[in-house]
Amino acid sequence: MAGNPQASGAMVQGTLDMLILRTLITGPAHGHTIAHVIEHASENVLEVEQGSLYPALHRLEHRGWVSSYWGVSENNRKAKFYKLTAAGRKQLSAETNRWRSVVAAIGRVLGETAE
Amino acid sequence: MTLRRFFRRSREDAELVQELESHIQHEIDDNIARGMSAEETHRQALLKLGNPLVIRDRVWESNRLGWLENLWRDLHYAARILARNPGFTLVALLVMALGIGANTAIYSFLDSLLLRSLPVADPKSLVVVSWHAKPWSRGDDRNFVMESMSGTTYADAKLGVISGIFPYPAFPLMHDDAVFSHVFSYCHTREVRTLSISIKGQADTATGELVSGDYFNGLEVVPAAGRPILEDDDRIGAPAVAVLSYAFSEAHFGGAANAAGQSILINNLPFTVVGIAPPEFFGVDPSMAPDVYLPMHSNLLLGAQIPFGFSAADYLDQNSYWMEVMARLRSGVSMAQAEAKLAPRFHQWVAGTAKKDKERENLPVLFLREGAGGLDTLRQRFSKPLFVLMTLVVLILGIACANVANLLLSRAASRKREIALRLSEGASRMRVIGQLLTESVLLAFAGGALGVLIAVWGIRFLAVLMSLGPNDTSFHAELNWHVLAAAAGLSLLTGLLFGLAPALQSTDLNLAETLKETRTVQARARRSAWPFSATQVLVVGQIAISLLMLVAAGLFVRTLANLQSVNLGFNRENLLLLQVNARQSGHQDADISPFYENLRERLAAIPGVRSASLTGGSLIQGESSMPISLPGQKPRDDTRFAVVGPGFMSTMQISLVAGREIDSRDRPGSQPVAVINEEFARLNFPGRNPVGQHLMLWKGDDDKDLARDMEIVGVSRNATYGGLRRETLPVVYFAYNQGYPQPNEMMFVLRTVGDPTAFVNSVREVVHQADPRLPISDIQTQNAEIAESLHQEIMLAELCTAFAILALIIASVGLYGTISYTVARRTGELGIRMALGARRGPVVWMVLREVCVLAAVGLAISIPIALGTSRLIGSFLFGMKPNDPLALGVAVMILLAAALLAGCVPARKAAYIDPMTALRHE
Repeated sequence: MAGNPQASGAMVQGTLDMLILRTLITGPAHGHTIAHVIEHASENVLEVEQGSLYPALHRLEHRGWVSSYWGVSENNRKAKFYKLTAAGRKQLSAETNRWRSVVAAIGRVLGETAE
Repeated sequence: MTLRRFFRRSREDAELVQELESHIQHEIDDNIARGMSAEETHRQALLKLGNPLVIRDRVWESNRLGWLENLWRDLHYAARILARNPGFTLVALLVMALGIGANTAIYSFLDSLLLRSLPVADPKSLVVVSWHAKPWSRGDDRNFVMESMSGTTYADAKLGVISGIFPYPAFPLMHDDAVFSHVFSYCHTREVRTLSISIKGQADTATGELVSGDYFNGLEVVPAAGRPILEDDDRIGAPAVAVLSYAFSEAHFGGAANAAGQSILINNLPFTVVGIAPPEFFGVDPSMAPDVYLPMHSNLLLGAQIPFGFSAADYLDQNSYWMEVMARLRSGVSMAQAEAKLAPRFHQWVAGTAKKDKERENLPVLFLREGAGGLDTLRQRFSKPLFVLMTLVVLILGIACANVANLLLSRAASRKREIALRLSEGASRMRVIGQLLTESVLLAFAGGALGVLIAVWGIRFLAVLMSLGPNDTSFHAELNWHVLAAAAGLSLLTGLLFGLAPALQSTDLNLAETLKETRTVQARARRSAWPFSATQVLVVGQIAISLLMLVAAGLFVRTLANLQSVNLGFNRENLLLLQVNARQSGHQDADISPFYENLRERLAAIPGVRSASLTGGSLIQGESSMPISLPGQKPRDDTRFAVVGPGFMSTMQISLVAGREIDSRDRPGSQPVAVINEEFARLNFPGRNPVGQHLMLWKGDDDKDLARDMEIVGVSRNATYGGLRRETLPVVYFAYNQGYPQPNEMMFVLRTVGDPTAFVNSVREVVHQADPRLPISDIQTQNAEIAESLHQEIMLAELCTAFAILALIIASVGLYGTISYTVARRTGELGIRMALGARRGPVVWMVLREVCVLAAVGLAISIPIALGTSRLIGSFLFGMKPNDPLALGVAVMILLAAALLAGCVPARKAAYIDPMTALRHE
C-alpha cells in the first residue's frame, strides 16, 4: 500500500492486528474503545496510531477475522462495533504462538550476545 | 480482491465517515471528562485521530482493483485522445471498418458453407455413401462399369473421381442392420428437375426430388403438417402422393395446414399432397432445395410420359448409376467400421457387373463420407472461390492494419513529449504501453463494430452475387455467434497487431533528451544499420500487398473479358429465350409438334419480333449426345446434337458455309434433314462436300434400330455448344419434328427489334392464349443467360477489382501520409536549401525519390510472390496463362501511377516551401 504518511515506529508491523484481535476476545467493542484498551493495557507504552487503526479494522473484517455491526455505545452514541469471529479466534492463537516464539528467539539471541 | 468489494467501496467509505465521526465524539466525551475546555476538546480529538481524509484514502486504496481501474481509466483517456483527433480517428475507423467488415462478410459465407449442419436430428450420425475410381476415358473406348449416369461426378486431387450415385440393384447391399439404423436414397433425375404443377387451375413450375420410403424417417424430419412419405408410398402401383416444401405450400395454398390433403396435378398426373416439410428443411443438398418431394418409384409414372423417360428396366440395370444414398449410423458404430463392412460387399457385387477386363482394372471403390453438412455440391462450387476471396480480404486487413499502425507511428512522434512526461513522472513502461494498446484496441473494436454493419450489407450483396439467379435462395449466410465472435477476435488481434509496434517504439525513449528536444533536434532521425524506418517498412508491405491484389484482379478481369468476347458464332444481342414443356401440361405425342409449331408462329407474329424458332436446349448450358453415324459406319454414341425448329440458324444468326438451313419445308413425313457444323464436316468429310450426304440416327448403341436416315442439307459455322469454356465440338442439328426422338421440353428463341425484355409480357400473353395450362419455366435474354453461366467469373472479377481498388486507396493514403510526414520533418532543411538557391525541380525529385525507392522495394518483393502464387488460381482463368505479362504489367503501371500521385502532393508542397516561413518555424 503506497503513500503511508505516518510511520512513527511505535508499533511493530503486523502486531496491531494481533492486539486488536486480543482486545476483542473479551467481547465486541468499537474503534475508540479498542484504541483505548490497547493503550491502557500496555500502561500507555504502546500508542495506537489512530490513523492506522481504522484501515486495520477494515482489513481484518475483509479477511473475515472480525465482523461488525452498528450499535449504541456506553456514552449513548451510535458506534460501529467489532466482534471476533471463529476464524479470528484461530488467527489470534496462531499469531500469539508465532509472536511468543519470535520473542523467545530474540531473547535467546540477546541473552547470548549480552554474556 | 473481489469485485464485490470493489463495487461496494463507495458505500463502505460513507460508513467509514460515520465511524470516524463517532470516534471523534467518543474522544471528545473523554476529553470533557478529563476537564478540557470545549474548543480544545475538538481540536485535540482531531489531532489525535489524524487527517480523516488520509484514513479514508487508505481504506479506499485497500479496496482497489488495480487492473480494472487502470483499464477504465485507460479507456476513458483513450476515448478522449481519439475524440481530440477526429481526422485521424475517422480515417483509422473507416479503414478498420472496411477491413474487418469485408473479412466478416466473407467469413460468414465460409462459416455457413463449412460448418452448417443439416437441420435434422443428430446430423453427426449421417453418412453419405460414395465411391471413387481412377479417371476413365469417355465415349467408345469407355473402360468403366458405369454405362449411363444421372447425377454428378467430381474430380478429386487424391482419389481421382468421386461420386455419390449408385445403380438401384446396389441399394439392398447397403441395408445392414448391424451398422445402420436407416438407409435411404434420393435423386434428381431429369423427370423431376422441372415439374409442371397445376393447383386449382393455376399452372406453375417447380423443382422436385425423388426420395425413398425411409427418407423422412431416416432423417428424423417431422412434417409441419400431414405425414411424411412412407415405405408403402414407394412401391409400383401405390397411390401417387407428394410432400411439399413449406415455402411452396405457403406460396400456393397460403399455409401448410391448408395444403395437406389437397389434390394437385403434377405433369398433368393427379397427386395427393399428404404432408408439408418443416420450414427449415431444404432437403439433403442445400444447393437443390426442392419444392416437391415424390416417392422414388413415381419416376416410373413421370418417366412413362417422356421420351427416354425412366422405365422399370432402369431399376434392374446394374450399369446405370442414378440414385444417391445416405444412411444413419447406429450409436456406437464408427464410420470406419461401417465402411469396412460395406466396401468388400460392394466390391464383390460391382465386380460382377463388369463386362470386360479393362473395367475390372478400375472398379469403383465404396467409401463413406460425413453427411452432417448435407451433400457437398455447394462446397464443391463455392469453397475454392471463397477461399480466394478470403485470402484477398485477409490481405486487405493486413494493409489496413499497416496503415493504421503507420498513422499511430506518426502520431506517436508528436506525442513523444507527452509519453516522456508520463514516463518521467514514474509511470512504468508497461503501463504506458498498456495505455497505448488500449487506445489501438479501442479503435479496432469501434472499427469492428462499424465493420459488422458493413458486413450486414456485404452479406446481402455477396448473396446476390453468388446466387444463380434472383430466385435462388439455396446459399445464404447470416451473422451468427461464431461469425460475431470471429469479428471480435479479429478486432482484438488487429488492435494489438497495429498497436504493438508503435507502442514499443514510442516508449523506448531517452527521457532527458526527449523532454529537452526541440523540433530541430527531433528532425534528426536516429541512425541505425537498418536503412528503413518502421513506417517505411509498413508502406513497402502495403505496396507489395496492393500489387498482389491488382494482379489477381487483372487476371480475373481478363478472364471475364476473354469469356465475354468468346466468338459465340451467333449474335447474342436482342435474343429472348423461353422454356416450356407442353408434354407436362397434357399434350400427347401426336399433338406436341403441331402445338409447338403453332406457338412458334404465334410468337413470330408478335409485332417487333423479327423471327422465332425453337431448340431442344440452350447452346450455352447443356449438351446432349445420341448415336449417329455415317452410312456403313459404327454409331458413335457421343455425337453432340441439337434438335431445332425452322429458321433456327437465321434467328440465331449462325451463318451458313454451304447449303441451306432447316426451314418450314422440313415437316413431319418429309425427308429427314440435318445441318452439320464446320467442325463435324472437317472431321467426317475431309475434302468432300457434305451437302447431300446422309447421316444415320440410331435408337441404340448398335446399328440395329434406325431412327432416321437424314440428308445433310447445309453446313454452318461453328457456334458455341455446351458452355463458353468448351473447345469447339462437332455438332449435328436436326429437325425437332421429324420422328424419333419425340420432342419434349423446348426452348423458344425470339429475335427482337430492340430490348428483348420489353417483349416479356406479350410473350407470356401469347403462351397463355395458346394453352392456359402451360407454364413458362424460364424466360430471359440471351445476355442474361450468358451472364448467369459466368456468375462465378463475374463475381470474382467484380469483387477482386473492388478489393484491389480498396487496397490501392488504403496503400496510397499510407504512402501519402508517410511522405507528407517526411516533408514536414524536413521543412527546416528544405527551407534552408531553398534559401540557398535550390530550384524546385531537384526538391520535387528529392521527395519523389523516396516514393520511387519505396515502390521499387515493394515491387521487388511482390513480383516474385505474384509469379509464384498466381498458379494457385490457374483453374479460374480462361484464355491465358497464370503469369499473364499483360495483367502483371498493367498492375505494376497502376501501382506506380498511384504511388507517384500519392507522392506528388507532398512533393509539390515541399517545392513551394517559403524559406522565411520555414526558418521561422524553428
